[in-house]
Amino acid sequence: MVSISLHNVGLDYPLYGAYDYSLKRRLLGHLIRDPGEMRIIRAVDNVTIEAETGARIGLAGPNGSGKSTLLRLIAGVYPPSSGSIAVRGNVVPLLGLNAGVNLDFVAEDNIALLLRISGRKPTRAMIEEIWAFTELEARMQRVPLRMFSSGMLMRVLFATATAFPADILLLDEWLSVVDENFAEKAQERLLNLVSQAAIVIIASHDQPLLRRTCTRIINLDHGRIASTVTVTSPAAHALELREKRA
Amino acid sequence: MHHTSDNPRRPSVLHIFKIYYPDLFGGTLTVIRDICASLKDAFASAVLVCSQSPEKREIVVDDVPVERVRSFGNLLSLPAAPTYPWRLWRKIAAHDLLALHAPFPLADLVFAFGFGRKRPLVVHWHADIVTHAGLRWFVEPLMRRTLQRAKAIVVSDHVLVDNTPLLREFEDKCHVVPFGIDTSGYDWPKIEPHHVNDRGRLVLACGRLVPYKGFDVLVRAAAAHNFEVWIIGEGTERPRLVQLIEELGLAERVRLLGSVNDCERIKLMCLADVFVMPSVTNAETFGLVQLEAMAAGRPVVNTALDTAVPRVARHGMEAITVPPGDAEMLGEAIDMLIRDPERRRRMGLAARNRALTRYSATAFKQGMETVYRDAVAAPCEQRSASAERPQAPGWLDSVRIAATLAWSDMRHRYVRSLLGPFWMSLQMAIVVAVLGSVIGQMSNADVLSRLPMLALSMTAWTFLNSVVLDATTALQNSASLIRDRALPPVIFLLQCTFRQGLFALHNACVPLVLWLILSPHDLSHALAALPGLLLFVVCTFALSLVLGAMATRYRDLKPIIESTLMLAFLASPVIWSSDMINHRSTVMRLNPLTHLFAVWREPLVGGQVDPVSIVYVLVALVLLVIASMLTLVHLRKAAFWI
Repeated sequence: MVSISLHNVGLDYPLYGAYDYSLKRRLLGHLIRDPGEMRIIRAVDNVTIEAETGARIGLAGPNGSGKSTLLRLIAGVYPPSSGSIAVRGNVVPLLGLNAGVNLDFVAEDNIALLLRISGRKPTRAMIEEIWAFTELEARMQRVPLRMFSSGMLMRVLFATATAFPADILLLDEWLSVVDENFAEKAQERLLNLVSQAAIVIIASHDQPLLRRTCTRIINLDHGRIASTVTVTSPAAHALELREKRA
Repeated sequence: MHHTSDNPRRPSVLHIFKIYYPDLFGGTLTVIRDICASLKDAFASAVLVCSQSPEKREIVVDDVPVERVRSFGNLLSLPAAPTYPWRLWRKIAAHDLLALHAPFPLADLVFAFGFGRKRPLVVHWHADIVTHAGLRWFVEPLMRRTLQRAKAIVVSDHVLVDNTPLLREFEDKCHVVPFGIDTSGYDWPKIEPHHVNDRGRLVLACGRLVPYKGFDVLVRAAAAHNFEVWIIGEGTERPRLVQLIEELGLAERVRLLGSVNDCERIKLMCLADVFVMPSVTNAETFGLVQLEAMAAGRPVVNTALDTAVPRVARHGMEAITVPPGDAEMLGEAIDMLIRDPERRRRMGLAARNRALTRYSATAFKQGMETVYRDAVAAPCEQRSASAERPQAPGWLDSVRIAATLAWSDMRHRYVRSLLGPFWMSLQMAIVVAVLGSVIGQMSNADVLSRLPMLALSMTAWTFLNSVVLDATTALQNSASLIRDRALPPVIFLLQCTFRQGLFALHNACVPLVLWLILSPHDLSHALAALPGLLLFVVCTFALSLVLGAMATRYRDLKPIIESTLMLAFLASPVIWSSDMINHRSTVMRLNPLTHLFAVWREPLVGGQVDPVSIVYVLVALVLLVIASMLTLVHLRKAAFWI
């Protein structure tokens, strides 16, 4: 049932300079016949991707090659300038963990709010479960996030974002957690989340990581697909087994 | 609700639909009646429907209590029954199981708001919405929510699940229970199933005279051939069919019989040579009448719809299936059967056999009983877990997220300071007191009696002012949610209206107290002001949507909007009123805000609203709605601007 289909998708990304934000300038420009050319870059160019249930796609490429933009296109943030996009299934974009966080609120309110934003009705049990994963003290739930150290904040946000499985998971860089004790646990949770999703698309610079997790790696260059590599041994399962044995 | 039961309490089922006997006859109603009748030992049934007849509200049809909610005609194929949602909500608690007969968006609305969450719900999917498909974007999220919380979805054939995208999402909940027919009524000793009328040219059709039944196609088919057509049924298409029959000069051979009772209908079915179901759209999902004709041992001519219709009576076995809407093919198929008595006899026997074995009333009863029992017995937890699956955000989810965000803003304001909750209101009270005394100095009118209106106007103005100002920065402040969580930008503009609405409700305690103390409070005036107030809020939202999007695209608009709002405040009768200044100046008359305030202020003081004001506000609203639509289209690009 879950599928992603991009057909000859292109995206012209307008780069607004200081003057382009001015209505006066724009109107005056029309009057004095100076249309003030707006710079447009072709961020995604003629990309065709088909993904069915089970697809694990890695997006690789140098900075500015259009990886994140492509993820946002799939998530529906940007409308495509040309071509067509059809996405079936519930998309969970994990592009940035900080979105929607209000540092003035206490931790549990933030968790509840983030859950609601992703369309779920938070219950006490859900929040407790998420909190248990963070391994923080229970009384910290009542503390505003502003008081948290960056590591603690990361734990809360990570635990909340990865609490529920998704049909289609979009990851901009592997969510890495710096805290050493937590990193392994987080890794396991993310792998678990990836294994449950029907389709996963990861944008990353880390080629070994992509080889480990993906079945197909798409190399992007200046918004175009430079090459597509099919990874022969889907090692994700092996990795999972290793995790379990450990 | 009284239960006429002797045995220990049977679980009660509430059937929810738009219409019931005796207002109408038709397939869906037959199904509801059959369910009520066949399950009467196991379940106590009740029916809640709408009715246009002003007569008795509570009637009993075939031992089943039926409550009929008054409806004032039909709007977009839906009964205009404003009290139906309320009655439904009241009745939900009294029953153990709810059986919704879809499509019926009025009931979906009730379930979408979360009423009746504690009662198990079974949805009988009779048809998809085919008419008014343009409103689908609005109705579909509601239907999806209903299906989400339903414990079981009953369809008459699996092909409906395959061909309905909405149902495919809930495939695991769908139960196929083919309709059944009690064939005993068709066992006429003198009319054997293989009995064939001598003349061999009577064609029968049956159904409400509505466009999707395709009777006009049948009439046109009759023109080219030499058979007789009798059509049973009544409906809005009648005048058009009569006209068509006359135009084609078929009055001799084509008869509209009107409504006919059950016994008579069965007799006609047994008399006919061929039964035709010429339906032209997928609104025809099963065709219960063709099953009746099959029980009477008649060969069928039906149409190749994407529904169960060509699967109940199969092409070449019990029926000849022709493309829908094709009068020529239909006429030829009928003619072929007319000319071939042997084939008619063979197909009639096959049809009767299929009705007896595949579509028996016993199987239907058992199927329904199992579904209902499982629905009543399943624990509540399981239901909530299955409803947990989040869906692609429809407009309903957008509104809910906006409300959540606004509510959290409101709570945040309460948390921030100890005085918090009262600070805003206190500020408002001070402003009103100072302004009131200043105005008292300027005019010699009675200041005290003006104070409540002054306070209320200030609250309303503060609402409008802050919504528009908030909207100009809302999208930039929520950039991360738009870009990283892919939330639709419109949520954050809606959030401004919701948030300021909550603040305004809070501030409203000042005018409320003043109103209670200082004026002869008349509740009916307050009620009369509500429509105007609603217009005010809707206009404010539309304005904020347009200006919010534009101010995000063109950053230099924000200072302009700010100064314009200040000017508008001074030029509008917010703190002063029209009778205080020189009679109705031009600026004041042209200022739309004057009228936007007038539509709710006038009724509140017991006056009549000037028709000019109403027209002015409605025109402004239409313009704003058009502008909002355009904005919504452009808002897709908002992620580039922030």
